[in-house]
Amino acid sequence: MITFGMRIDDWLYDTGMMIVIQKRILPWVLGGLTAVWLYLVFLVVPPAQGLGNYVRIAFFHIPMAWVSVLAFLMSAWWGAGYLRRQEMKADRLSAASARLGLMFVVLATASGAVFSKLTWGAYWNWDPRQTTIFVLLLIYGAYLTLRAAMPEPRRRARVTAVYALFSFLTVPFLVFIIPRLYFSLHPSPVINGSGSLDMDPVMLGTLLVGLLDATFLYVWLVFRSVDSEDKEALS
Amino acid sequence: MQQSIWQGIKLVFCKELTVGMRFKAAWAAMFMFALTTLACISLAMQGGAAEPRLLAALLWVSLFFAAMAGADRVFADEDTAGTLLTLRIFGPAQAVLLGKMLYTLFVLVLLSLFITPLFLLLLDVTVTAPLVLLGTVLLGSTGIAAAGTLIAALTTGASVHSGLFSILMLPVILPVFLPAISLTAGAFGGAVAVSYLGGMALYDFILIVGASILFDYLWYED
Repeated sequence: MITFGMRIDDWLYDTGMMIVIQKRILPWVLGGLTAVWLYLVFLVVPPAQGLGNYVRIAFFHIPMAWVSVLAFLMSAWWGAGYLRRQEMKADRLSAASARLGLMFVVLATASGAVFSKLTWGAYWNWDPRQTTIFVLLLIYGAYLTLRAAMPEPRRRARVTAVYALFSFLTVPFLVFIIPRLYFSLHPSPVINGSGSLDMDPVMLGTLLVGLLDATFLYVWLVFRSVDSEDKEALS
Repeated sequence: MQQSIWQGIKLVFCKELTVGMRFKAAWAAMFMFALTTLACISLAMQGGAAEPRLLAALLWVSLFFAAMAGADRVFADEDTAGTLLTLRIFGPAQAVLLGKMLYTLFVLVLLSLFITPLFLLLLDVTVTAPLVLLGTVLLGSTGIAAAGTLIAALTTGASVHSGLFSILMLPVILPVFLPAISLTAGAFGGAVAVSYLGGMALYDFILIVGASILFDYLWYED
């Protein structure tokens, strides 16, 4: 039973539920969702007006960009967890999240650049969204460089946690200020300024499946990465 | 209690200033780097006209990298000299952080006052909004000082120093850097969006508060 104040991930680890979820449930859910997602993207979604079949790239690009931001948030969250309780597990989770975040941000940047070239004629033009994703790329690069430059594990965990939280201060600027500073060709977010949904229902459904699938993929990879580190440490 | 923190900030600032005046290497590196960069830009331009936006970008790139040449030493020098532990024992975290931040701001303002008039003179730039330029330089320096002091504390003990400080600084300082370039371009004859000054001031405040909260975790180690 989960007692009041006990953390859910501790409970999952202590009862062995984490292993069951990670090894038995998540791979099946992930496989099924990926199959549905690919089916929807290539066989169900109609070509979009003005974009044609290029719109299919967006169904990979948006989930990659979402996970890039999620991984950044989680890296800072686990960094804060380390500072609060000094558990090396939180540091390993923070680092794994940053490494995956870098991988996803590279994929998001590359897919966005290809989409930009096909639709607007140039790979890169410092569009506000491109600026935002590039700053995220710089933050991940800086975080991992700092980790590599710190030889002592406890000091490394502490300084990288502080940097993850400090760099998180840029988020309001990246999300709210930069898009207002520069003109953008990038399509408006799915949920627009008036709070209403402005997307074809089939496309919206496909996008939501893609977002869910990418999120599960991230969760699976981050815990798998930490587990393999633990096994290496024990052997 | 409050009075003792102010007293502590003042003491740390005075200590930094005294050490800075005694060992002038950091000052010399920063000012000479700025002068060298400026000379390179001026020589490359050969008196040619440039858009306000390009001039503003050149000024801020010079200021940023000149600041990087000296601001990273604020904790590393203490570590090398072996005085960091003494400071840790006798100095409260907030007094040390804010005292060093104030000192870095002081040096950066001096650097800006040195480089900006020279830049205007050598590149023959006309300033149409001097107060906007002054406000931008002050707010930009405050942001660099706030972020730079915390990041200098982070990089203490790193096995690689060369370039690490700039790599860590750039993403964090971009929210100051980009509006500063827009505002400076406005002051050089472009369109001025004065509301950006408010945005810069707000972000500076966020950086100072963020640095203040996080510094305790670095200062009081296990």
